[in-house]
Amino acid sequence: MGANGRVVASSRERPSLRRVFRLRPVGEAGPLLTAASYAIVIVACVVTLGPFFYILTTSVKDSGLLFQYPPDWIPADFFWGNYTFLLEQTSFLRWMLNTLVVALSVTVLKLLFDSMAGYAFAKMRFPGKNVLFVVVLATLMIPFSAILIPLFFLVRDLGLLDTYWALILPPLANPVGIFLMRSFIESLPNDLENAARLDGCSEFAVYRRVILPLIKPPLVVLAVLTFLIQYTSFIWPLVAVSSEDMRVLTTGLAAQRGVTSIDWGTVSAGGIMAMIPITIVFLALQRYFIAGSLAGALKQ
Amino acid sequence: MKLRGRSDRSAAVDAPAVTREDAQAPAIELVGVGKRYGETRALTDFTIDIGHDEFLVLLGPSGCGKSTVLKVVAGLEDATEGEVYINGRLVNYVAPKARDVAMVFQNYALYPHMTVEKNLGFPLKMTGRPKAEVRERVREAARLLELEPELSRYPEQLSGGQRQRVALGRAIVRNPVAFLMDEPLSNLDALLRVQMRDELQKLHRRVGRTTVYVTHDQTEAMTMADRIVVLRSGLVQQVGTPDEVYRRPTNTFVASFVGSPQMNLFEGRAEARDGVTTAVSPAAAIPLSGERYPEGEEVTFGVRPEDVLLTVDGERGAVAGVVTLVEPMGPDVYLDVALADDCSCLVRAPADTKVAEGERIHLRFRSEKIHLFDAEGVRIPT
Repeated sequence: MGANGRVVASSRERPSLRRVFRLRPVGEAGPLLTAASYAIVIVACVVTLGPFFYILTTSVKDSGLLFQYPPDWIPADFFWGNYTFLLEQTSFLRWMLNTLVVALSVTVLKLLFDSMAGYAFAKMRFPGKNVLFVVVLATLMIPFSAILIPLFFLVRDLGLLDTYWALILPPLANPVGIFLMRSFIESLPNDLENAARLDGCSEFAVYRRVILPLIKPPLVVLAVLTFLIQYTSFIWPLVAVSSEDMRVLTTGLAAQRGVTSIDWGTVSAGGIMAMIPITIVFLALQRYFIAGSLAGALKQ
Repeated sequence: MKLRGRSDRSAAVDAPAVTREDAQAPAIELVGVGKRYGETRALTDFTIDIGHDEFLVLLGPSGCGKSTVLKVVAGLEDATEGEVYINGRLVNYVAPKARDVAMVFQNYALYPHMTVEKNLGFPLKMTGRPKAEVRERVREAARLLELEPELSRYPEQLSGGQRQRVALGRAIVRNPVAFLMDEPLSNLDALLRVQMRDELQKLHRRVGRTTVYVTHDQTEAMTMADRIVVLRSGLVQQVGTPDEVYRRPTNTFVASFVGSPQMNLFEGRAEARDGVTTAVSPAAAIPLSGERYPEGEEVTFGVRPEDVLLTVDGERGAVAGVVTLVEPMGPDVYLDVALADDCSCLVRAPADTKVAEGERIHLRFRSEKIHLFDAEGVRIPT
């Protein structure tokens, strides 16, 4: 009882819901929100890691155990035959090499061309610049399936079918990188390039010595995205190359399916091994990738 | 003799520039230079000779074309018309890197991915100087600007004043014909700005190079300039020493733009009263002594706040008014005095002046300090 005779509720007597929904400082989550956050994160982890875990266990199971019920999530004995089959009986390493050559070549060339085109669109003055940029961007609206056949004829007429060039040249025409580079370069102050011009730089030297070092974050974003897209590309390599030695990982592994059945163990082992290079690339560039993704949002 | 022929742009970018025959050419010479952006005129018929070692300040409000002049001289913008000479060479179609001028930008434009040392040495490296020479000249510039301890740091690790010094150093190491400075102090706080202003002046005396300095800050202009060019809407309003611009403004724009606090301007008419020509306005009737004025014509007369004196009632030419605002400024006090409807006068009085807001006082204008302008705002010579 209070001094004036009124009953003063102690904190223990307050209804628990009021505690849950009471006003808090911005950014401080209550118990309900915290629980919901954890639940969402756990569900997201299960959804994203579940398939990975499934093919990992599948890759170390003998084919006889694949379809038993209830499933044996972690096999008692690891079966390495799927991996040895892939490495010894197929051209898996050759496909891996092809994939890396194509993905790295496309990535390097795209970084070069897109950053130069982005610089030109962002900073240089030439007649028809805006119209040309709109035309370049408009190519985004054409679905790849619509140009697949004409592209095939074009590559065939150039005599590039079943070569690395058939896999490297067409992806270079994607304008997303140009758009990304232009947006970032446009945000750099004009005085920097003007200072470089006065300091003795040619136009290419302005790009090479001043602009290029400053656009590392978006370059890394573009590099990771391009590498990932090329690494997992399937339809175009399926059309453009046909010989066993020119296959890439996706088409090589797809070719492991038989006429009536699929050897899931082998395909899973291939999938797991295919993840290794791209995981290394991502982990190596992760710091820059995250910084680059946030650069536009946080730039002062 | 000037060679007025227009060069072929495609051939002249890296070609030797056309030179004049006379050896005593000014460091920078602009002849009838104009600049248009589409339909917008940024600069009109700008003509000036800038001497060797001269400190020229381009002064004007935002958008008056002063930065455009710098860019045209530097080659970052092409002149739409007219000719630009640097050390007697026609440089209209010479690339910026070949003009031998260095520019200090408003936002410093330091290369963020380079250390101070590399920033300073970049212009020398680009011109292919030997590494030993680059290192020596960078050290020399760093010593001059007291930047030696900062040589291995990056621009983001420096204070505003240090960044400004690095920007200056990058200009100095090149030993150019002229420095072009585009509001280099405007990003600094008030105290640092005063310090850097002093340092710039000392540096100019030591280095002794032609400097073209853009500012909208009249204090910078008055304290630093050998000559001031006042610009408005791309047109030159006045060229003169700070003293000339302050004491003999050519028009009402210059009169009101230069000087802090602003000059008081009163519109009125010159009339003969009791045998004395008098400037009559709703604010006051001021006898104009010993000069010939266009009687009967509309005039604007101006008087600087420090040339308005507090006086007593009854004195000849005394004007009555009511103090509406008292602003103590330390050494002075500014009084805003209402003289008539919609007509007030700013007075700069000694700090110990005892007046209160709402008090009725009497003012006297020093007639020998009165500036007279015609109906178009042009100064009437006296």
